[in-house]
Amino acid sequence: MTSKERIRAVLLHRKADRTPLDFGATTVTGIHILVIEKLREYYGFEKRPVKLTEPYQMLGEIDDELLAAMNIDVIGFGPRLTMFGFPNEGWKEFRTFWGQEILVPEKFITTLDENGDLLIYPQGDVSFSPSGKMPKSSYFFDAIIRQGPVDEEKLNPEDNLEEYGVLSDEDLQYWNKNLEIIKRTDKAVVANIGGTGIGDIALVPGTFLKQPKGIRDVAEWYMSTVMRPDYIRTIFEKQTDIAIKNLETVFGIVGNEIDILYVCGTDFGTQNSTFCSPETFDEMWLPYYKKINDWVHENTGWKTFKHSCGAVEILMDRFIRAGFDIINPVQINARGMDTRVLKEKYGDKLVFWGGGVDTQKVLPFGEPEEVKNQVFEQCVILSEGSGFVFNTVHNIQANVPVENVVAMLEALKEFNKQASHY
Amino acid sequence: MEQLLEQIAICVEFGKINKLAPYPPDMKGQDGADELTGKALDQGISADDVLQKALIKGMEKVGIKFRENKIFVPQVLMSAKAMHTAMEHLKPSFQSGTIRRKGIFVIGTVAGDLHDIGKNLVSMMIEGNGWQVIDLGTDVKPEKFIEMAKANPGCKVGLSALLTTTMGNMEKTVKELKEQIPGIIVLIGGAPVNDNFREKIGADFYSPDPQGAVEYLNKLVA
Repeated sequence: MTSKERIRAVLLHRKADRTPLDFGATTVTGIHILVIEKLREYYGFEKRPVKLTEPYQMLGEIDDELLAAMNIDVIGFGPRLTMFGFPNEGWKEFRTFWGQEILVPEKFITTLDENGDLLIYPQGDVSFSPSGKMPKSSYFFDAIIRQGPVDEEKLNPEDNLEEYGVLSDEDLQYWNKNLEIIKRTDKAVVANIGGTGIGDIALVPGTFLKQPKGIRDVAEWYMSTVMRPDYIRTIFEKQTDIAIKNLETVFGIVGNEIDILYVCGTDFGTQNSTFCSPETFDEMWLPYYKKINDWVHENTGWKTFKHSCGAVEILMDRFIRAGFDIINPVQINARGMDTRVLKEKYGDKLVFWGGGVDTQKVLPFGEPEEVKNQVFEQCVILSEGSGFVFNTVHNIQANVPVENVVAMLEALKEFNKQASHY
Repeated sequence: MEQLLEQIAICVEFGKINKLAPYPPDMKGQDGADELTGKALDQGISADDVLQKALIKGMEKVGIKFRENKIFVPQVLMSAKAMHTAMEHLKPSFQSGTIRRKGIFVIGTVAGDLHDIGKNLVSMMIEGNGWQVIDLGTDVKPEKFIEMAKANPGCKVGLSALLTTTMGNMEKTVKELKEQIPGIIVLIGGAPVNDNFREKIGADFYSPDPQGAVEYLNKLVA
């Protein structure tokens, strides 16, 4: 089976020759640049600066050498512009706080503040206030909240829609260029065209905008979901309509050469609970998700991908009703996220993309043997009857020992060898 | 008097800030925590009674309902906003020292970590339970915690971390706090943290929810 055939089989809950694997196809299944460098070293590849492809979480490029060495089955394309509003082009060298030489896009413009923390500017424009900050002892950026005073009388949903527009000519060129790669690869392809993330809290601060207007503060946004539900619904409604137009356009370019649409990364789960009640999900989110998923299923052969961290077992039925095909990252150590239960209850309707190993305790702090055991155990549970793509729970962070990543990959290999049900 | 205090407690519990606030919809047009607290003080009800019999009571219900998944982050934030609006009226009494507080709680997110929603929820619940809270914000270095703890003898300290990459800084902060201020009580919380980790780093208490921290602190001063 080629990687594409393998992923397609698993997405249809059919047997594949082995459990497929994703690293790097999305911004929630990636690897931190520091770990990528260590992995390249482990495999004995040429020492060269890793390309930073996702500057917010500092995720790096998984190049062809690593794709092959790790047996990765899927590649991905995000929107043309990064979280800080610049394209991934015009590479230059940059030295991180932890002393790593990397390649960053030319518009990756930073300064140091009075504490020595790193500030980054929207669209690389230093004439505006910075939109992201990386503390000295951190490994990635977080949003700087740029929230003006909220005047109820003047609140206009259009202000929160600035980032959602019809794709530009440059965007169309970008997808045309991607198509050349997509046609050549034997990997499965995930595409995130942007604009389909409904109320994603990571996007609310508008790190990519020079001067964001509307509701941009995280707490104010959460409160708005109960205090100003009509305002939020108007945003979701208009955003969905624009997104569907853009999906039509991108489908016109790439057709069914892509396999999966990354729809939304809105986190509904905390460690022990959810950010909203199931009823609020039904009222505020489900109709818009359904509209997008229905369009995709009626007009394309794509499968749809939903990311939500946390304890979301209670929402799984609703994700299914909303029309999602794939759920990620399957946070196995959050309350109620027992993969045996999830597989039993939802395994015939949802593909689990992730959940291969816990990333809060086992992967960063466990011994390699512990990693191996958990990976093996999760693979046994999640691959039963197909419908499983291996990934960790969210991105591999900077502090994960490379030995543990290697142990994880070895355990997956071992599992594939032993898996008799394939 | 009892009825007015009860009404303020209800406003806090359900997040009714003031008369103009549209939330919650079923209390539209009614006086909120703002107006009712003003009214209570005008009627001669003591600020201490407002704190003890209305705000603490309301926030306690919020904490319990949050722990039981009956309400969620947005509702807690609305309640905290209502509580803070009422607190504004009590400010002069806090400054003059006529209100009894249970103690001082210094809280912050540890160095390298900029996440604050969880930390803020804990901070609000503890403040709403009658503690004076000194919130140091995010990315707080160990020296800052030590400085504030030394400046406020007897205070309890709360550390938050969301990232696995900053759990090490939490350990370092606990160690330095304990070395510099023997006997200081340190609470920890945050998504990747648990009781095993608390034990490992020598902190005194961990709770997966804010109400647990409130109850622990209250026991210390009971």
